[in-house]
Amino acid sequence: MTRDDIGYHRLEWHQITVPTDLPEVIDEIDYQRVVMNAGATWDYFPGHYDPVYAEKQGHPAIFVNTMHIAGFVDRIATDWAGPSSRVVRRKVSLLGPIYAGDTMVGRGRAVDKRLDTSTDAPRYLVDLEIAVANQRGELCCPAEVTLELSS
Amino acid sequence: MGPGATRRRADGVTTHISYELAFGTYQDALRMVGVRTEARFAGTAVSAARIQHFAALVRDSNASYWDDEFATRVWGGLIAPPALLMGLLIPPPWVPTGQPPVPSIVLRVPLPGTTFVNASNDVEFLIPITDGDRLSVVEEVVSVSPEKRTRLGAGHFVETHDTYRRVDATPVATSRNTLFRFTPAGDS
Repeated sequence: MTRDDIGYHRLEWHQITVPTDLPEVIDEIDYQRVVMNAGATWDYFPGHYDPVYAEKQGHPAIFVNTMHIAGFVDRIATDWAGPSSRVVRRKVSLLGPIYAGDTMVGRGRAVDKRLDTSTDAPRYLVDLEIAVANQRGELCCPAEVTLELSS
Repeated sequence: MGPGATRRRADGVTTHISYELAFGTYQDALRMVGVRTEARFAGTAVSAARIQHFAALVRDSNASYWDDEFATRVWGGLIAPPALLMGLLIPPPWVPTGQPPVPSIVLRVPLPGTTFVNASNDVEFLIPITDGDRLSVVEEVVSVSPEKRTRLGAGHFVETHDTYRRVDATPVATSRNTLFRFTPAGDS
């Protein structure tokens, strides 16, 4: 790992060996975070802020939206590679909700690295597999992420 | 908390979804397959306030969202967290004209389901979206599945394909999304 001249860490593509496990990231989601989720994303679907509505839909509590979980996935990726990296593709599958009171547990692995020469400037890419589970170990969101790094 | 408090709480419960869901049959929905919308524009440009509110939500310390000097040097400005993309095109829940917000086309596909939940999302981020960019989206209905039964209830999976652009028409992202439109088990 190197540091740029402002001091942020920067993982360089040629330094990466695959497979490599990423550091686990844990985030406790309380009611404030779920309500903040609706406010920050402007997604006022009532399942994201109204506990009684959520219960009527068969949920035990209000739950976060796709953007929140995707943001957690992206955070796991760029925390590892540094702020000079960029998510260029992300696929998420929503298997189970993250409810207020749950804890998100994110585990990632770099599974491939490749040089994309199909673009004008070659792109240095790393493919990640990231799994977001809850505190009971239930897989809520498997994700695939491709990061673009500096060479 | 006594019974009165319970009643007051129930009085405040959301009784409808503010999004204007369209209702109809599966056959009605199939007629929407292939329909592509006109470009729908965000009411406001991407701002540092929205970038940092979302980064605070996710507790993401990425300097590209917080450090103007760093972000300007690397990206040309603070960048929008990629995960906020969809939210940048969600209209405010209320506007002074009183007009209901125009929802995504996926909610205008006529189906029997009374509610929805997202199933999957696959996005390519072609170039960074930066502070000051104003975006538009063109949405297309790709497919509607026959009725499926899940643990949530019976309903249909609706797949859409969205292309996001800056106002200068430069594409910034493409998204393929699948949403499950259903009626909760026990309500049918």
